[in-house]
Amino acid sequence: MSNVIHRFPYSLTSLSIGLVAVLAVAYIGLIAVVMSYAALTIEFSQSVRNDETAVAALESHYLASMTQITKTDYVTAGYTTPNTKVFVPAKSVTALR
Amino acid sequence: MRAQFRSRIRLILTFVVLAALLILGRLYFIQIVEGDRYSQKADRQFASGGSGLFDRGSIYFTRKDGTSISAATLSTGFLVAINPQTITDPEVAYAAINSIAPDAITHDAFLILAAKKSQVYIEVVHRLSDENGKALAAKSIPGVQVLRERWRYYPGGLLAAQSIGIVSYGSGDSLSGQTGLEATYDDMLMRSGDALYKNFFAELFSNVGNLLVSAKDAREGDIVTTIEPEVQTRLEHDLAKVNQRYSSRESGGIIMDPKTGAIIAIATYPTYDANNLQDIDAMLLGNPLVEHVHEFGSIMKPLTMASGLDAGVITPETTYNDTGCITVNTKQICNWDLKPRGVVPMKQIIVQSLNLGAAWIATELGQDKFREYFTKLFDQKTGIDLPSEGRSLIGNLSKPQQIGYDTASYGQGIAETPVQMIRALGAIANGGSMVQPHLVRAIRLNTGIERTLDWSQTTPVFSPTAVRETTEMMTALVDEKLEGGKAKIPTMSVAAKTGTAQLTNGRGGYYTDRFFHSFVGFFPSYNPRFIILLYTDYPKHVEYASETLDSTFLDLVHFLIDYYAVPPDRGVASTTAI
Repeated sequence: MSNVIHRFPYSLTSLSIGLVAVLAVAYIGLIAVVMSYAALTIEFSQSVRNDETAVAALESHYLASMTQITKTDYVTAGYTTPNTKVFVPAKSVTALR
Repeated sequence: MRAQFRSRIRLILTFVVLAALLILGRLYFIQIVEGDRYSQKADRQFASGGSGLFDRGSIYFTRKDGTSISAATLSTGFLVAINPQTITDPEVAYAAINSIAPDAITHDAFLILAAKKSQVYIEVVHRLSDENGKALAAKSIPGVQVLRERWRYYPGGLLAAQSIGIVSYGSGDSLSGQTGLEATYDDMLMRSGDALYKNFFAELFSNVGNLLVSAKDAREGDIVTTIEPEVQTRLEHDLAKVNQRYSSRESGGIIMDPKTGAIIAIATYPTYDANNLQDIDAMLLGNPLVEHVHEFGSIMKPLTMASGLDAGVITPETTYNDTGCITVNTKQICNWDLKPRGVVPMKQIIVQSLNLGAAWIATELGQDKFREYFTKLFDQKTGIDLPSEGRSLIGNLSKPQQIGYDTASYGQGIAETPVQMIRALGAIANGGSMVQPHLVRAIRLNTGIERTLDWSQTTPVFSPTAVRETTEMMTALVDEKLEGGKAKIPTMSVAAKTGTAQLTNGRGGYYTDRFFHSFVGFFPSYNPRFIILLYTDYPKHVEYASETLDSTFLDLVHFLIDYYAVPPDRGVASTTAI
């Protein structure tokens, strides 16, 4: 049995410095990622707002149409009022339940 | 050789480390120390005047099928600003702006602004559409800036405007909700402007907790109302017709689910367009249904009747002798037509709207008992989620004179808000318990969670037997009396009561020719899905509510039956001539 001493080829100082260098590069990389993320967030947020504006315009159109339909005087529009109203009995099979 | 290599490596590593430290230090100063300044600088590249783009949560209507329609949202477009110091040809600039946004600014006004060479930023046109904004920006006119702008937009315009409310500058320098739901739920709708600039590293330096669990996300959200847009449209249309036909001072109405207190429609006329607040009468910005009190007249009689039945001082079979007029505390009170009815049962007090009958019940109840019931009904605010709720005026019930109790029994001498009135009358439609009227059913938080609000608190007032007997009388009124019996729906029981009150003259008395008309009804009578309260204030050339509001009420009843497909609750098939 022989005593074999494995010597690490680099000193602790060199290792630490290397590690710091790697971390620094990683940090710079992360900054780039964060900046890209922020830019995309702003772009996406603006895109969502633009879509919301488009939806609001459609909703406005829908509500205006609804108001127009409610205001419509059907007699003026050429329809006649019914002569009789038939009420569906509670026991009818066609009554909604 | 090897030592030389090592020293070079160390030199390079030292340089890298120093560079990293330098960047780290610079980053700290940019992101943390001067973060706000840079954030504002970034804002200015996108939007106007040093502040971020306006952001705020949405308010939604809820259709009957549960889908949401925006009641208040945001619209995005552009504003145009000029820099008088760099503008080269004001005439060319004006021509370009005017071609895109005609009449936005007059020629003379523009030239005056362009001549202010001491200023660098003056906004001249707002709310340009996306298309027009981009078209103007493409012209690249020196000294003319086209910047992003966002503003509050109400797709319905007039629809439920007084309840949705408005956003404007209050006492501070930021936009906030001033009236309606915009004010009540301002904390939830308001957005802090840093959302777009959230930075992982800055958060790490400042507050790790906020990065993981944001308090804002648990508070901020969108508001989902109980207002059904089609029912709201119908109510507003009907009220406008009544108001215009009778030249009333004001007309209003509420449609509510009597079991839950969810308000399905709430409207007054006149109202305003929430998207155009220029030259608006400031008085219209409030909500009269919540803030103003009225003497409602005879729609109070069902509450007097239910009180008497609940206390056990009367039964439906009880009779009294109606003499047409009586004198109480030296003051004379009479039936609406001054005619005596003789000995009549309780039902006729509701069906014929007999003031003397209501006063007789009040006397039978006694002052303490009467005060107890009416205090429970009206002394508290309803707690509705709208600002500036008014208080009822029931001071007459603290005095010993019997006349105050007698007149209160048929709705004169005491005043309530319409919301208080529908809440109290809702007790008759809800087995004797008052519910909490409300307009918002849920908050959609930014986290995606929908938080349903709890409005389940009820206040028991009457026994189920007392309200059922009162409901039978109100149903008889519709079947036998309303429109001479023609209003009866053979397959649907409807309970209702009209009210006509004299208006106060401000000098302690009443006008003899000015009236306040009210109408309340619910259906199906014995398992109601809707309760409707209507009023019209000071209608001209008409005396009784049965003339002004019965057709409006019946139109709403038939509309709701059709729209919600309310199943019939009684009767056999029949054919009615129109």
